[in-house]
Amino acid sequence: MISFENLVVLLVYGATLSGVWALISSGFTLIFGVCRLLNLAHGGLFIAGAYIGLSLIKGFGLDPLTSTVLSMIAVGFIGSGVYTGLLMKVKEHEVTVVIITLALALIIEQVILLMFGEHGIIFPPILAGVVYLGDVPLPAMRIFGMAIALAALFLLGLFVTRTRIGREITAASQDVEAATFIGLDVNRLFIVTMFISSLLAGLGGVLYSQIYAANPFLVLKALIFAFAIVILGGLGSVKGSIVASFIVGYIMTVVIMFLGARWSELFALLIIIAALIIRPSGLFGVRE
Amino acid sequence: MTGKEKTNVDRRSFIKYAATAGIAAVVAGAAGYFSAPTRTETITRTIPAGEVTRTVTVGGQTVTQTQTVTVITTPTRPPPKPPAGKTEVRIGVLAPLADRQGKVQENAARLAIEEINAKGGILGLPVKLVVADDKLSADTAVSEFRRLVTAEKVDVMIGGYSSGVMTATMEPMAELKTIFLADASSPAHARKVGANYDKYKYWFRITQNNGITFALDGIEQIDYLAANGVKIDKLYVIRDEHIWVDEWEPLFTDLLKRKNIQVVKSVKIPRGYTEYEPLLIEANRLGAQAVFNMLAISGTGDVLAKQWSTLKLPLLLMGHDLAAIDLGFWQSTGGACEYEIFMADGGVVQTAPPTPMCKSFIENYTKKYGYPPEAHQGYGAYDAVYLYKKVVEEAAAAGESNPFDSDTLVKYLERYTLGNAIELTRKVAFYPKGAWGADGTRWDHDLVWGDEYVKNWVAQWQGGKQVVLAPAWLKNADLKLPPWLK
Repeated sequence: MISFENLVVLLVYGATLSGVWALISSGFTLIFGVCRLLNLAHGGLFIAGAYIGLSLIKGFGLDPLTSTVLSMIAVGFIGSGVYTGLLMKVKEHEVTVVIITLALALIIEQVILLMFGEHGIIFPPILAGVVYLGDVPLPAMRIFGMAIALAALFLLGLFVTRTRIGREITAASQDVEAATFIGLDVNRLFIVTMFISSLLAGLGGVLYSQIYAANPFLVLKALIFAFAIVILGGLGSVKGSIVASFIVGYIMTVVIMFLGARWSELFALLIIIAALIIRPSGLFGVRE
Repeated sequence: MTGKEKTNVDRRSFIKYAATAGIAAVVAGAAGYFSAPTRTETITRTIPAGEVTRTVTVGGQTVTQTQTVTVITTPTRPPPKPPAGKTEVRIGVLAPLADRQGKVQENAARLAIEEINAKGGILGLPVKLVVADDKLSADTAVSEFRRLVTAEKVDVMIGGYSSGVMTATMEPMAELKTIFLADASSPAHARKVGANYDKYKYWFRITQNNGITFALDGIEQIDYLAANGVKIDKLYVIRDEHIWVDEWEPLFTDLLKRKNIQVVKSVKIPRGYTEYEPLLIEANRLGAQAVFNMLAISGTGDVLAKQWSTLKLPLLLMGHDLAAIDLGFWQSTGGACEYEIFMADGGVVQTAPPTPMCKSFIENYTKKYGYPPEAHQGYGAYDAVYLYKKVVEEAAAAGESNPFDSDTLVKYLERYTLGNAIELTRKVAFYPKGAWGADGTRWDHDLVWGDEYVKNWVAQWQGGKQVVLAPAWLKNADLKLPPWLK
């Protein structure tokens, strides 16, 4: 029988971790699903959000909330700028896209190392303090971060299903040629998709650094986790990525609680492999 | 002889004898004046060689005394000369230069060499620094070691950081018979020397103590807290999942048992782990008074400090966290590390330098590079250069045919042992051949551990600075408890 304290920790901490992973993985799968681009620089955008945000606080004296908003918008523009300046020209060549985006990820890592050093950074939280649920202390920033992540994902869902441009993006993701034939500006839609995807990654990075900490070496770790979650959820399926993020997040939290922290990442990856053996296209992927 | 003549003779004799006696009395009296009273004076001053003239008052009379003083310097023979054909001394530094623990070694060695060259070098020879990057790779370290010794002709090697890399590097060291004044904490290195002394005797650990001593330092923290009114009887351990902890955790747990202190749980965490809050909540639920960390590899000590400071549970944060030793830890945690108790590896906290040489090293390093030594490896490298200079000069003064010969220098290095530390930036001494450590294994050529030598001091973050809490002779602050614990 699980205790009340363990249940609360499980629910809240699991949701926080899952929410942050959902932000990064949904953006990653959105790009693939719509633009058919495997953007390996996505982990770099995730961490860039944290470092840009911290620079705004230290350089301009902004408060954490304002710098969070500005940094995620900045990352959005960086992502769409990368697409416009580099990827748009080579998007037909998948291997070239992989090479370019991987190189970008490493460049981002090195730039951060040169500018900020190898030390991790802790972003001042938007909300400080602790909230007690019974006897269980819960950092306010965790709860707030979880709420923000869930709200962002909800808004993403609304955007994709309820807005015109969202429906156009969905159409383009289903058939690029058909979308072109009916007069949709596919490149503009791709740029918007990159912007949204990068914005989500930037938001994820800022939230992550407020709850935990960010360091340059997370560029590749974030990419690996996002990629694994996206594969589990089904490449191109935003819904799949969100569900997979919560599966992975809760598995890790349960394992930390009952088996030990050292097993958490291993178990998460084992579950991903097992799921893919059973359903190779992922939970919500489309069979080709 | 007539009577009158006899009388005249007697009178003359009397006068002669009386005069003699009188003169003798005068001489004796004068001698008495000059020889008494006998005083012994100890004059402590610098006396230049040559004649010394001084004026003293003897019996009310001013007397000028002149004495010739010959000042004896050691050695009395001419200064030793280097071996014929040797034109310079080459010191190698092999370390991970992309990391601050490696870069600081290069910087510190360079500073030491500049200072030594400014004073004439070693045996009158200029000293040159040769640097190589081991890139934290055993393969790279081995090949670079060989290159430095065979191609660059270094006379001595300084460096290291990773225990795994050090284990590999000891092989070319042994093969090429090169003195290696080393960093890295694994007990395995000293055990190699103990197991095959003749092969590995060139290795001396100078930067920090054998990793087993972390267990002893941990107990020191517990004892310090107890002495300051903070009783710990339950500990929650958060440790790296790494061999460096495997080697000393059993000893630590055993020592805790003897003090009736229970380890309520020991949690291993992988590299990059960040979910400390559930662990802290669990520690509190299990009744621990403190979380004892054993972290170096995880790389997320800043997250632990931050989450501990956020939750404000009735738990002390103590132990060994490599991140907490970093001077930038305060900034990187946003001050969340305030009140964290940690071990100051390598025996130096910059606010309390243990020796005058340490103080001036910190000042000169800061002046030269614009910031203080970034890691404790800097003290080890600086000491290594000066120690090498010292033993080479001693070997030369003793008349050794080749004072740079490694086999020769091993003997001179071994003289700096228990009871005969050399004061550098720390008081450095090495355990002798055949020494056994606290864990029952061989500690040959390990850095001697102790209050009078090098230890990981009990330290704490207070007000943005690292302070020393113990030992008493070095402390510069008292324990401060987090306000939420009072």
